[in-house]
Amino acid sequence: MLIQILLVLGFVLALWITWKRYRQDVITLIEALGWSVLCVGGGVISLLPKLTEYLAAIFGVGRGVDLILYAAVAIQFFLIFKLFVSHEKTERLLTKLVQNGALKDLSFRPEEQERWSGEILVNQDSSTRHTPSE
Amino acid sequence: MKVIGVVPAFKEETRIVNVLRAYLAYFDEIVVVDDGSSDRTAEVARMERVHVLRHAINRGQGASLRTGTLAALKLGADVIVHVDADGQHDPKDLPNLIKPILEGQADVVLGSRFLGVEATGMPLLRRCVLKAGRWFNILALGIPKKVTDPQNGLRAMTAEAARRIDFHQDGKAHASEILRCVTRSGLRWVEIPAHIIYTQDSLNKAGTNRTSDAFRIAWHLFIGVFTK
Repeated sequence: MLIQILLVLGFVLALWITWKRYRQDVITLIEALGWSVLCVGGGVISLLPKLTEYLAAIFGVGRGVDLILYAAVAIQFFLIFKLFVSHEKTERLLTKLVQNGALKDLSFRPEEQERWSGEILVNQDSSTRHTPSE
Repeated sequence: MKVIGVVPAFKEETRIVNVLRAYLAYFDEIVVVDDGSSDRTAEVARMERVHVLRHAINRGQGASLRTGTLAALKLGADVIVHVDADGQHDPKDLPNLIKPILEGQADVVLGSRFLGVEATGMPLLRRCVLKAGRWFNILALGIPKKVTDPQNGLRAMTAEAARRIDFHQDGKAHASEILRCVTRSGLRWVEIPAHIIYTQDSLNKAGTNRTSDAFRIAWHLFIGVFTK
């Protein structure tokens, strides 16, 4: 069947890209293995669709296609959740950068030194500017 | 003891001068953190005798408080007080807020709208959302039932407590996160009655859909659990 050939080619391509990304240090070994399991699993099920019937029977799901759908939804939920967590981490890094920028403003502004003499020491030579320890 | 007020401000150009002048009488120094406002908030605040820090882009109230708290520690604060820039907090409450710390009875003092001092102009819906939020904090976050107003932004803490309260939420969820840290870290804390003044101006500024804020806070706290 043409659809089987296309699906298998798609999974092989995905597998190749996964390991290419691993070699490029874009993803970790665990991530590469996880994606590989999915790709190989998808390829095997594409070639042997009857296999899903046995798996569906084991899980107590009516049809093999239903099992694939349920699994796909669960996997997508997991991936979306991972994206949210990753987004949150990026947001926090961004905040840290913004904060560091704002705090530099506090340490090195000359008018602050005049206003709060003794609190912030700013050397006339900008290369040796420093703040007192807390 | 050096008492430093931290005032996070976002688009407060029209209100901040009066608010800062009212606070100046109670603090040794004030750190204003302009959270990337597109108006003249920072410029206006700089005209007063305060430190003004500016976030290059808007990062949220929690992020501003963290920046301000770090700045206050850097300036050698013994006591750090978080107050809002929109004038909702009554400056007359500040001596009572700081008193338990100065007397060595507490490490953290929290303001509460629900300890006998009636808030001025608080809408019924706001009251209901705050009560629901309190139960969410109790059930989902394990914050003690003794805390009557988890979303109150008025709080004071010692420098040591500020170093120990390690909060990361950038948005409004910071209040719950701070409480969780405070109540689980062995710090001595106490709540005091605080008078909150709601004006049409401040209510409009805060946004009309507070219910969605509550859901957003819950979502950020949930995601935050996986982002350590």
